[in-house]
Amino acid sequence: MPWFIAGPAIGLLVVLLYALVNRRLGVSGAYRQVRFLVLGQPITETWRVWFFGGLIAGSLLAAILRGGPVFTLGYGNLAAVLPLALLAPTLLTAGVLIGFGSRWAEGCTSGHGLTGVASRSRGSLVSAMTFWLTALAVTLSLHALTGGVL
Amino acid sequence: MRRASLAIGIGFGFFLAAGRLTDYDVIHDMLLLREPDLFLFFGAAIATALPLLWLLERSGRPSVFGGALRVTRERVQRKHVAGALVFGTGWAIAGACPGTALAMPMTGNVLGVLVIAGIFTGQWMREAVADRTVRLRALAAQS
Repeated sequence: MPWFIAGPAIGLLVVLLYALVNRRLGVSGAYRQVRFLVLGQPITETWRVWFFGGLIAGSLLAAILRGGPVFTLGYGNLAAVLPLALLAPTLLTAGVLIGFGSRWAEGCTSGHGLTGVASRSRGSLVSAMTFWLTALAVTLSLHALTGGVL
Repeated sequence: MRRASLAIGIGFGFFLAAGRLTDYDVIHDMLLLREPDLFLFFGAAIATALPLLWLLERSGRPSVFGGALRVTRERVQRKHVAGALVFGTGWAIAGACPGTALAMPMTGNVLGVLVIAGIFTGQWMREAVADRTVRLRALAAQS
């Protein structure tokens, strides 16, 4: 699906969530509520659990419509560079950084980058600029350090 | 409220996966500045949401299920920069953010499960650190 359909559709969902349930669309906060659910702790925002479940179902739907899901142990070019024994801990560690950082910033690509910026929230704008520039710097550094392999 | 949240979640997951944001190579090529598509994707999403949100707020209309509309806005704080530095690093390495990681295994990318497990762990670690800081400050205030 081209960007000029998927992008505006995602933008509309941000507006729709405000128009319907008056909430900032964000995924990292949903992980937190699902953790409460799994650990048997009190859930403080129920809607986030439903959103989390919906996200999983929606992506599965997209995969099915494409004739999938096609299960693989690959991970794009990263799997071509790293053997599985290195790839697995790398992905787990990267996940920890994503979780730690998104919780610290209290928002991720969706909460700050998309919804926060579209709401003209200054904190979100600063956060989004920071993680975009960081991700670009880290990626381009990895590219240079690996001699263009990554 | 639950059904609306579920439906919007379904839509969100659908368009993330359909837009191939669940693909490491797609994210990586964007961050290498090789492919403009994802920047256009983000730009189009914000260009759609920003004016509509502004209009929605200006209309003064309450939300359907959640009462009077209150759009979240935050002043700039240290957490916005500090957290984003850590988050951006992980995003660059895994080529995934919390939303796309969640969609990854559903598209068949099994190793996405490791990123998801890491996110749960990392969030829990951050909260443990934050709790500890609060306790230490309280102790310091007492003494």
